[in-house]
Amino acid sequence: MEIQIRGLKKYYYSEGKTIKALDDVNLTIPANRIFTLLGPSGCGKTTLLRSIVGLETPDEGEITIGDTVVWSSERNIFVPTEKRGLGMVFQTYAIWPHMNVFNNVAYPLQNQGMPKAEIEERVRETLSFVQLEGFEKRPATKLSGGQQQRVALARALVAKPKVILFDEPLSNLDAKLREETRKELRSFLTELEITAVYVTHDRVEALSLSDTIGVMRAGKIVEIGAPKKIYFNAEHQFVADFIGRSNLIPAKVKEQKESFTVVETSLGEFVCKERDYPVGSELTLCIRPEFIDLALGGDAQQKNTLTGEMATMVFVGEVYESEIRVGDVLFMAKVDPETTLEVGDAVTFSVKPEHCLLVSE
Amino acid sequence: MVRKQTKLTYLLIVILALLTLSPVVMLVIGSFSKGLNTFGDFTVAKYVSVYTDPGFYAVLGNTLVFVLFSALFSTVLALFLAYLNNRTNIPGKFMFRVISVVPMMIPHVLFAVSWALLLNPSNGILNLLVMNIFKLESAPFNIYTIRGMIMVEGLLDLPIAYLIIAPAMASFDISLEESSRVFGAGNMKTLFRITLPVLRPAILAAFILCVVRCLASFAVPSVLGMPGRTYVLATYIYRTVTTGFIADYGKAAAVGMSILVLSISLIYLYRYMTRSSEKYVTVSSRGFKPVVITLKKARIPLFVLLLIFSFMLIMLPILVLLYTSFVPYSMVPSMKAFSTMTLDHWKNVLHDPVSLSSLKNSLFLCLVGASLGTVLSIFISYVIVKVKTKASGILESLSFLSFSFPGIVIGIGFMWFFVRTPLYSTIWALLIGYIATYLPYGIRPMTSAFIQIHSHLEESSTVCGASFLTTIRRIVAPLLVPGIVSGWILMATMFFRELSLSVVLSRPGTETMAVQILKFSDDGLWGRLSALGIIMIGISVLLVVAANLVGNHFKPVTD
Repeated sequence: MEIQIRGLKKYYYSEGKTIKALDDVNLTIPANRIFTLLGPSGCGKTTLLRSIVGLETPDEGEITIGDTVVWSSERNIFVPTEKRGLGMVFQTYAIWPHMNVFNNVAYPLQNQGMPKAEIEERVRETLSFVQLEGFEKRPATKLSGGQQQRVALARALVAKPKVILFDEPLSNLDAKLREETRKELRSFLTELEITAVYVTHDRVEALSLSDTIGVMRAGKIVEIGAPKKIYFNAEHQFVADFIGRSNLIPAKVKEQKESFTVVETSLGEFVCKERDYPVGSELTLCIRPEFIDLALGGDAQQKNTLTGEMATMVFVGEVYESEIRVGDVLFMAKVDPETTLEVGDAVTFSVKPEHCLLVSE
Repeated sequence: MVRKQTKLTYLLIVILALLTLSPVVMLVIGSFSKGLNTFGDFTVAKYVSVYTDPGFYAVLGNTLVFVLFSALFSTVLALFLAYLNNRTNIPGKFMFRVISVVPMMIPHVLFAVSWALLLNPSNGILNLLVMNIFKLESAPFNIYTIRGMIMVEGLLDLPIAYLIIAPAMASFDISLEESSRVFGAGNMKTLFRITLPVLRPAILAAFILCVVRCLASFAVPSVLGMPGRTYVLATYIYRTVTTGFIADYGKAAAVGMSILVLSISLIYLYRYMTRSSEKYVTVSSRGFKPVVITLKKARIPLFVLLLIFSFMLIMLPILVLLYTSFVPYSMVPSMKAFSTMTLDHWKNVLHDPVSLSSLKNSLFLCLVGASLGTVLSIFISYVIVKVKTKASGILESLSFLSFSFPGIVIGIGFMWFFVRTPLYSTIWALLIGYIATYLPYGIRPMTSAFIQIHSHLEESSTVCGASFLTTIRRIVAPLLVPGIVSGWILMATMFFRELSLSVVLSRPGTETMAVQILKFSDDGLWGRLSALGIIMIGISVLLVVAANLVGNHFKPVTD
């Protein structure tokens, strides 16, 4: 089911200041895909999720799930949470401690008044889907974090909702388990015909899990796109910087060439991936550390080539995370771990034009 | 260091055992003895005479009804108030803090008396008022019934139940309720299938503690029960030692045993429950404000209800006593009543040597007793929290034991003990009895304060060359000030209003204020009672305020 959000606003007032948790959000979440809301804490992503499920009431706007308007300020419609028929996995899992696994998972079906035998069948089916067969009688409090997470997922899926919502469900797991669960979750969700809305502040989670990412900032959706588009082709400095580490250099458009844009920076001229801005526009040049190419070094007269001095080198295993000083700019760069370079050495490096991304404010 | 700690642990165990176990042992032996003067002369006659007396079973029945329904009343009311406070948008939320703290300053005996003044069948103010308005022939309410007792006791134990249930409700992970709503349950269904079951350990703990307190309650059964000849175990014991030709302390001990056994089992059940409640601790959420249930039409009526409750709990008793202390006899407030107001009762009380000496005694017991009790609590809590040996475990169990002590029963036990010492009929007997009975109330806040002091702070003091006592004096004690103050306040207010232990242990010359008030109540001297009661409440309030000021002054870090 598609989710339509139109003109959604939600303001909080505290200590005389107005905080815009949702600032006129317009968004269409495509059906049967995994959609991630990504942003720093306080950007409004959780408020948006909670508005969709009905745990929060926005001030203005309209939310439509499938063909049903579940909330509209104008038409005075409010479908209460319990009538929306959604599934949700909470950050804390919200596994009821006084019930065993079976009763936790059966709860949504019991509320629908499904016959007992059918409930048992469905719960067993769902538990085996999340690989928790035989856990029915286990008290909810006698589960590990990962198991609680699966129970929460089973409970969210058992009533076969058309939409499932995730509120940072992996943030309470340790790093290794988080990685495994992420993969598993993606395979679970792609197997089902379900619209998933996933909230996170973890960029890796967003990149690896989603079909589409919506990046939020200060109550607004800044950019929407597939993970690769967001990573390689962000249009805003905030998005580019949030989704991965970047070297950011102020740049001014000098001329538009066929399939390239040339900019002027304090470090000289750069030939960049084409962006349709008029000559003279003030932009930011964004270069990711992994695209700084020391092997291509060579001729300092070539385009997009800089010479500097190795300032710091930190060995982290798969690479050296290093900084190269060029003039008064420090370039983050990822360097081959087997390099013979040392701190203090002069280095020449270049960046391919397709890796020079121009972003606006 | 370690050896000193071990020595200290054993010393404390000995002191605590003397304080808490000796009255119990004396009670047991006393119950098998023929009389106070023939101690240890074995007989089961007392048990036989108690447990074959059909009157005893009527008393037992009364006790069960009184205790269970009072506890139920307090628990349900506390649950309702905690829910209103934590989950709804009811206005005036500061009222909840008032309800849970202020009643501590009103002695139970005065609270009971004020309701007797309002609702007694012959000239209760409220009864007279209703009779005048509706032209009734007889009083519509009678507080001297078991129903009246249940209502008043229920209100008295409300703060205790609230203080257990409200924090549990506040720390409740709200997403447990939110998820229930997402999965199709409405507000009511969520309340009954999720909220209440998850809170069950706290609710049961509150109920059990209320039961223990009702079992020990003496003020309400004596002021409201005895006039209507409704006896419960506590007043039955009191009658056994105060009426008849000779006080039968053996029989009293035999009755007391049944209360004590019940009470001790319940208090350990309570401890077990509050411990196992930890299993309900869930991953804490990042602190989303709980979704407040918007009360629509019910908002104002519920607020009015809340106002009425706080009025009944706090203002009404004080107003009734104040009014009664000025009018010559009980009458409905009117122009006529106000024109007849006099200061006679106040003059009488202030010229009454017994009242004055009771004031002196109570002040002494409260100031000296609470201070001694606090010092003892500091050492005991230190050992319980910081010295984790088997012996300190014994200390903890021992210190917990007296939570279950019904004052009147333990008073009987102490009687058997003191009568054999020169302490008998001195103020020191009361002092020791108070500390023994109310020590857990001093230890509890201190233990939680100790838990917050990281052991590294003490260890670094030791590394710097400080002795064990220096470490306590210079590092631990200053950090403990908030705990010390709250422990002291709790003990001081409890000592100041103490009744049930005092009625057994006090003798002419060592009356306390509460005992004197009970005497006035027995004699129907309501005016003097009210004047003395107002003085008592005034001093209680002053104590709490002063202790808070001192506490703020000595706070190690002022913010």
